[in-house]
Formats: sequence, structure tokens, C-alpha cells
Amino acid sequence: MLQETRALHPVRRRGWKGWFAVRKRHLGYVAFALNRLTGLGLVLYLIIHLVVLSMLARGPETWDAFIELAKSPAFLLLDVILLAGILFHGLNGLRVILVGLGIGVHRHKELFWGLMLLAAILFIFGAWGFLVV
Amino acid sequence: MSEQKVTFRVFRYKQGDTAPHYDTFTVTVNERTTVLEALQAIRRDQDGTLVIRHSCHHASCGTCGMRVNGKEVLACVTNVLELGTPTVTVEPLQNAPLISDLVVDMGPFYETFSQAHLPFVRRSEYLPDAEVAEGVPFHMRFESCIECGLCVSACPVVASDAEYLGPAALAAVWRVVQEPRGTEVPPLLDWVNSEHGCWRCHVALECSEVCPSNVDPGGNIMALRQELVRRALGLSHG
Amino acid sequence: MKGNGIQGISGAVRWLLQAVSGLLLIALLGVHMIANHYIAAGGLRTYEEVVAYLSHPVVLAWEVIFLIIVTFHAVLGVRSVLYDLGPSPHTQQWIDRLVGLAGIGAVLYGLWLLWAIT
Ligand code: HEM
Ligand code: SF4
Ligand code: SF4
Ligand code: FES
Repeated sequence: MLQETRALHPVRRRGWKGWFAVRKRHLGYVAFALNRLTGLGLVLYLIIHLVVLSMLARGPETWDAFIELAKSPAFLLLDVILLAGILFHGLNGLRVILVGLGIGVHRHKELFWGLMLLAAILFIFGAWGFLVV
Repeated sequence: MSEQKVTFRVFRYKQGDTAPHYDTFTVTVNERTTVLEALQAIRRDQDGTLVIRHSCHHASCGTCGMRVNGKEVLACVTNVLELGTPTVTVEPLQNAPLISDLVVDMGPFYETFSQAHLPFVRRSEYLPDAEVAEGVPFHMRFESCIECGLCVSACPVVASDAEYLGPAALAAVWRVVQEPRGTEVPPLLDWVNSEHGCWRCHVALECSEVCPSNVDPGGNIMALRQELVRRALGLSHG
Repeated sequence: MKGNGIQGISGAVRWLLQAVSGLLLIALLGVHMIANHYIAAGGLRTYEEVVAYLSHPVVLAWEVIFLIIVTFHAVLGVRSVLYDLGPSPHTQQWIDRLVGLAGIGAVLYGLWLLWAIT
């Protein structure tokens, strides 16, 4: 009987969209959503990266021609986005690990902002290196 | 006391409806009116078919949980004017079967929660030096969790994994591990050390943000994980 | 219920592996990025420079370890994201097989590539 009546009641569940439903949510939720986004983005990048590297197997001409292309501003911009993704995911990941080990559970927001400050500094240096050097 | 008109945008759904919709009501409130009182006023004066649930009116029974302006709250202790929005949007909790309007079926939540076998009373951590009356072993109090389900509605993982045990049950298991009171701990640890147990949690800690009763479910899950990691590494026994 | 493969190890160990591989990646990926973007003139290496770089045994070992750890971490991560969708035990088995195979494939492919150019 209970089961039958329950079947009449729809469950309002956001599904995977819920991972990114950050409106009105707090810092930890947003960090989780971004960590997931960057993690999956990095996997996508890894796959593309491995495929692109197959050009190495086709010899110097193919590779060096690609490297010339990769030095164009559009490609360098992709590298800068990659750097931002790595820094966010890596340093936020460090926070997730620490909190998971019971370190800073109740200071996780301060920990987040501290690590993001570090990420921002590294990003400025890193992006400058990509674009200028 | 100064009165003021506030617009309420209320989620409506009745069995058989193809889709939910929102109804708008205008309610006169003062500085002390709570969302629950405003909803009761709507039901009394404007629309007797509005379905709401409550009991204690003071944050103890955990039955009036809902989403107000997108956040999980106990309607009975949520002050309307302190929300600071001209329109107040009221919706039922997520991730639970919807019965009618603002009322969801808490049955599945209670079923999972009760598997933690959390006793109702615990040793009190307050006033450790206070004198204890004769015949009483120690000061006791109720467990903090009022089983309101706010955390489960807010958790992004429950949103996608219906099997996930969820913050309230996991936090309850940690309380049992901390203070077993006769309950067998190892089967509970096996229960939470599963694919849909505490490893599904990704530390969004939104559960702790919305918990109205200082359970800190997220912190409890982290403690539970530490314990499981210690056991996996052979650093802890019992 | 304990399965084989990734499901066979306890959740605690799986979480630890994700965490430890993440920590190792900070060092592995850090060096990888610096070596491949900031050392060579103009940032990126020409074919000849790549071959010269990889001819150093320590560098080669570092890149091989990086390849293995990053793939491992990615496999566990993607598995975790897919499990968050609440798959049935049957689908879980397929997820484990698929991400496991993809991971092994990626590592073998990477090793082959390194072998082909060095
Ligand atoms: C740089 C150092 C890195 C650290 C410290 C790190 C740390 C972590 C941690 C702790 C998690 C678990 C998050 C959770 O369960 O909530 C995670 C998840 C993940 N990582 Fe990393 N990671 C790093 C680099 C990478 C790289 C290079 C990739 C891509 C190849 C990657 C892909 C993923 C994916 C796909 C997930 C799952 C995302 C999720 O559960 O939301 N990570 N990482
Ligand atoms: S900390 Fe874990 S249980 Fe709490 S809301 Fe986040 S994912 Fe859900
Ligand atoms: S842990 Fe907090 S939010 Fe969750 S059910 Fe218990 S009292 Fe409510
Ligand atoms: S009516 Fe009891 S908690 Fe709100």
C-alpha cells in the first residue's frame, strides 16, 4: 500500500545538473562544482594532449609545423586556460584532501581563500611566462 | 509594530497535475512574522487548499523544512522581513517524493536514517562540572539531529544519486561511533564504507551550512572517513 | 558485497589513492609544466629538443611516472563522477571495465609513443 501510494509521488531531483546548481549556495558547493568542472576539463585536455602528441611519432616535419601553430596567440590562450584549471583543481584538491583527513574542517573557507591566493600568484607568473617569454 | 505587505510566490502541486506551478499571494506581515505564520495566514484567509506541515513552531520537531528563496530552512524560525526580499519564494524540499504543495514524503529519509540506530539521548557535553543528582549516571540531552531533512535537500550528491545514504544518516553513524551506547559499531562502518556511503561525499559542506541544529553533518562525515582510513591502514581497532 | 578490480578495494583505500595520486600530481605536473613550457626558448620544444630532453634517464622516468599517475587519478576521478549518477550494480561493473580499459590503453599508448621517439 505504502509502495503503491509512493509511486504516485514524483521525486524532485535535479540529477547531474544539481552539481552545478550553485545559485544561493555556499563556498564549499561552488568549490565542488568548479573542482568537478576543472577535473573533467583536465581529463578532456589529457585525451586531446595524448592524441596531439602522436604527431611526434610522425617525425620532425609534422611536429615542428604543429609547434609553429601552437605558438600562435589562440593556442597560447588555451594554455592560459589550462593553467587556470590546473591551479584551481590542484590547490582546491589539496584542500579537499586536508579536510578529508580532518585538517581544517571548520576553517575550510579560510583554507580555500589562502590556497586561491597562492593560485592567483602562480597564475600571474605562469601566464606571464606563457605569453611573454 | 509596523506592518508591511510582502508577496509570496508559492510552489503548488497536487496529485495528477502534469506540472507544478507557482501561485502569488500578498500577506501583511510585521517584524516578527515567520514564513510559517505567513503560510498559515494564506491558508486561513486566502486559499484553504494550500498544504503545509508543521508541529512545534520552535525548531524542535523538524517537520516544517522547506526552501525559502532557494535555501533550505525551518519555516517556523525564518523571519520574513529579515529575508530582505520584496518577493519570497517558497518551495518544498528537493530529493524527496512530493506529496502536495510544500509537503514531501519523509518516509524514505526516515528509513535510511533509522538504519544508523542512533539513540535519542546522549551524554551531554555541556557543563561538564555541573553537579549530578543522585541516582542519575550523568547529564544527558537529546541528540542534535531533528531529522528535518534540510541537509539531504541541499546536498548535490543526493541530487544525482538516489542511493547515496546522505548527510543526515552518515552523521548519525558517526555519532554512534563516537558514543556507541550499546550499538554494534562494525556493521555500521561496513554500511557507510560502501559505494553509496561516505565516499560519495565530495566535501561541498552545504549540508553543514543549512543544518538548523548544529549537527555539522559534513564535519561528521569527514570524521567518519578519517576513522575508516585509520582502520584501512590498521591504525585503529575496535 | 565486494566485487573484483576497482570495486574489490575498500572505499577508504580508494579515497586514499585518489588523494595520494593528487598530492603526487602537484609535484609531477608542476615539473612537467615548467619543463615543457618555460625552459625551451619560446616555450615549446621542437622535435629535436623533445628527443634531447627525453634522452635523460631521470627525465624519462619522471615523465613515465607522471603518465601513469595522472591516468590513474583521472580514471578514479571519472569513475567517481559516474558513480555519483547512481548507476545500478550492473552499470557499475561496466563503468569499472570501461574506465579501467581506457586507463590501461592510455598508459600503453603513452609508453609506445615514448619508445617510438627515443
Ligand atoms: C595537480 C594536482 C591534483 C590534485 C591535488 C588533485 C586532487 C584531486 C582530489 C582530492 C580529487 C577528489 C575530489 C572529490 O572527491 O571531491 C580529485 C578529483 C578529480 N581529479 Fe584531480 N587532482 C589533481 C590533478 C588532476 C589532473 C591533472 C586531472 C586530469 C587528468 C584530474 C582529474 C580529476 C577528476 C576527473 C576528478 C573527479 C572530479 C570530481 O569528483 O568532481 N586531477 N582531484
Ligand atoms: S559535504 Fe557531502 S554530504 Fe554534505 S552536502 Fe556536500 S556532498 Fe553532500
Ligand atoms: S543533520 Fe541537520 S539538517 Fe540534516 S536532518 Fe539532522 S538536523 Fe536536519
Ligand atoms: S514547526 Fe517544528 S521545526 Fe518548525
